[in-house]
Amino acid sequence: MMDTDPERFSTTSRRTFLTAAAGAGTAALAGCTQSSTADQETKSITITGSSTVYPLMSAIAEEYRQNNDNVDPTVNRTGSGGGFSNHFCVGNSDFNNASRPIQPEEEQLCGDNGVEYVELTLATDALTIVVSEDSFVDCLTVEELARIWESDSADTWNEIRDEFPNEEIERYGAADTSGTYDYLIENVQGEERGHTSDYTATEQDNQIAQGVMGSENAIGYFGFAYFFQNPDGLKAVGIDNGNGCVKPSLETARSGEYQPLTRSLYTYPSMEALSEDYIADFARYVVEQTTNQELVAENVGYVPLSESTQQEQMQKLEDAIEQAN
Amino acid sequence: MATESPGNEFGRVSRLRGQLFESVTFAASITGILALAALLIYVTIDAFDLEAASPEWLLVYFVTLVLPYIGFCLYETDRAIQRRTALILAGGLVITAVVFTAVEAFVRPIPGLTWQLVYLFLFVVPVAGYVTVAGSNTPTGAVGFGLLGRIAGGAALGLWLFIIFVVFDLQMYFLVYTVGVFPTALVWYAVRRWNVAARLAGSRVDRDAAELLTTRVLVGAVGVVGTAGAVVLRGSLPVYPTDLIMLAWSLVAPVTAVTTVLTARRYDRRRGVLVGAAVLLVALGGGFGLSVGALSQNGAVLLLLGVSVPTATYLNRVWRADEGRAGLALPLLIVAGALAGAVLVQTFGIQSPDPWLDLSYIRGTPTTQTTQARSAGLFPAIVGSVLLITLTALISFVLGVGTAVFLEEYTRDSGVIGAISRLIQVNIANLAAVPSVVYGLLGLAVFVNFAGFGVGTAISASLTLSLLILPITVISAQEAIRSIPDELRDGSLAMGATRWQTTKNVVLPEAMPGILTGIILALGRAIGETAPLIMIGMATIAFSPPSGLFSQLSAMPMLIYSWANNPSPEFRFGVVAAGVLTLLSVLLAMNATAIIIRNKYERDA
Repeated sequence: MMDTDPERFSTTSRRTFLTAAAGAGTAALAGCTQSSTADQETKSITITGSSTVYPLMSAIAEEYRQNNDNVDPTVNRTGSGGGFSNHFCVGNSDFNNASRPIQPEEEQLCGDNGVEYVELTLATDALTIVVSEDSFVDCLTVEELARIWESDSADTWNEIRDEFPNEEIERYGAADTSGTYDYLIENVQGEERGHTSDYTATEQDNQIAQGVMGSENAIGYFGFAYFFQNPDGLKAVGIDNGNGCVKPSLETARSGEYQPLTRSLYTYPSMEALSEDYIADFARYVVEQTTNQELVAENVGYVPLSESTQQEQMQKLEDAIEQAN
Repeated sequence: MATESPGNEFGRVSRLRGQLFESVTFAASITGILALAALLIYVTIDAFDLEAASPEWLLVYFVTLVLPYIGFCLYETDRAIQRRTALILAGGLVITAVVFTAVEAFVRPIPGLTWQLVYLFLFVVPVAGYVTVAGSNTPTGAVGFGLLGRIAGGAALGLWLFIIFVVFDLQMYFLVYTVGVFPTALVWYAVRRWNVAARLAGSRVDRDAAELLTTRVLVGAVGVVGTAGAVVLRGSLPVYPTDLIMLAWSLVAPVTAVTTVLTARRYDRRRGVLVGAAVLLVALGGGFGLSVGALSQNGAVLLLLGVSVPTATYLNRVWRADEGRAGLALPLLIVAGALAGAVLVQTFGIQSPDPWLDLSYIRGTPTTQTTQARSAGLFPAIVGSVLLITLTALISFVLGVGTAVFLEEYTRDSGVIGAISRLIQVNIANLAAVPSVVYGLLGLAVFVNFAGFGVGTAISASLTLSLLILPITVISAQEAIRSIPDELRDGSLAMGATRWQTTKNVVLPEAMPGILTGIILALGRAIGETAPLIMIGMATIAFSPPSGLFSQLSAMPMLIYSWANNPSPEFRFGVVAAGVLTLLSVLLAMNATAIIIRNKYERDA
């Protein structure tokens, strides 16, 4: 198009260019300058892992960002196991969150790839067994719970306890990539009794809640946060571990009365990441926040650490940072 | 139920079966649409908190905004349409009020709705759509909607530019433009202006060689050297002009110049200068003072630049055509109506809704803390999604068109190439059915771990999504290329053009509308994907927008998905609904852009 007749409009175009150039030049000379942004690049922190720890970690990251806007933490929910095997133990992520301690296979994988790490406890979560508000279940013993969730599980409620009706048990629970799933197996029925496959598996807590609310023959389990915020329509089942029925609450979880369903939540920073000053600084901030009642309990719904546990964790972190450098 | 009537020897066939079948097909065709419409109505009500809107509030805006709009659309339509509209609006009001009250009283209360809202969504919105279509067929209406469309489209373009400059480095662009693009344009212009090739040709070089040397080699060399120089300079230059000056010089100035030249060429020089001056004034005026409240100065300049170019050229055209000028008042009518409504609501202290989807939501950073729902924002994820889809569109365009051209234009039926292309063809057809999570695994293995592009970076994610939609883009591009008649190719080849020239000048321009349609459909799938993104470790939550190709990012579907699982109902209804509407708006804006490009190609072809 331009080459049809270059003579004709040359004046307009040249005049505009010259005017613009002159204008910009004058303005630049007047001292309207700024410095290069090249060296102020934001530094990223990659956090992967458990969807149970995700709300806590993202709340802490959000708070941290408010005073450190050149650091950009990103948090994602891959599940504890997915995070270890796909990202963390391959050396691609800085922190991996987990709702259970790292497993031997994962330790092996990390070791093979030369990824070293330190285990930090963040908070306590209580695993809640829920039934519908109108359910006939109020309290279960650990053995009864195991009968419901083991791989060769009971089909109807009256197999669990004679007084329960002869109705089929509808089960809703965590997907097998979830730390919550592993936790239930280890602390209730034990590895060898496994986990039933006759249940609706999901990573989404509200799907479990919806399912359980919908039927009085349903039972489900998930982390404490969800139940803490939404008691309507759901009833938490008390657990009898031989010392009478204990309902889950912040107090019973922290005091350890609510057994065996309280669990610790962890994060695993890699040693390589801790050798960076800004990541070490972030890690210190994370441990500082673990006793923050407002953040951990009210905004996220977990049980904060006690002062003494926090100090242990801080000591562990400082040792690791020193070793990393 | 074909029944034979004994009295008639030809027999009679019952129409019942056919009519039943017709109504069944009709029901089937509207089921999905109705379900989606119901969902969208609830999502809209949640996102804008319309449930809390008092009837007075709805009435005020109905009178100041909706009625004038409908009046404008009906201004030049015929009587029948005007009468029908008035009848539906008035009748609908009575019917909704009566039926809704009756249902509430005798059957059961309807959650989250009032009869005013039902009237709004069941009657006012469809009627507004109907009169918009009717009005756009009249000269005044066409001008009004033409202007409105250009303002909206320009704003979308400006916001897209803004997002691109959030991600990419403005200082880098400034250098590339100043020492790369601008000198190249100058040299190219000078070579043409003083006909350097002809002067050179006189002495020892022949004409064609001189032409090649000056217009290709010289210009190309200046461009390459300049761009390389810019990259080197970026690392060492410590001081830059302010953002505003950089934008003015490297974006506003050239856009103004091009607009001026093109307008001058079409009309006359005076008009060219007029339009150019308007663009310059609006864009820079925005930056200097009028910063549009919500945006930074850069945002204001880019937004106004996007709006001013199409608006100024359109105003010029309408003014000249001298038909339907009154339609230019439509944007003013809408702004005035909104202002009048706001003033009335203020003065009478009418209780107004507190929408979740507002500017602070669009500009804010996300949160997951259950007590902080009101401060939740989507900005990093919006930028992430837009960047992701822009990159995916580019990559899948190149890969898709490349594959399709090879398969359609360069294969032979026999020999090794024939075997290879048959193999590719079969595989592509099968790939279209592969579940998206498998592509996620591929992305994790190849882009994240093997190529080392990083967990959840923009480049890993967009490559993964491009592969995901590749089969669809390839197949549709193939269809488009195949539909070009062989006569065109043969004609081009018979004129002595090479196969490459034929493909470039004949086949691709003709096939472009079809190719773009395929890519539009495929991108619609890509923008909503989460499964492959979860596999490659894309961030669920990021607190700042990505800052480059290798930067981590989050995308809207990921964040919405995690909010939907938040224990607090404020998140699950308000924040999620606002996110869904934003995602849909971005998707619609992108599709509209692509459709405009496609229509333009179709008109030109």
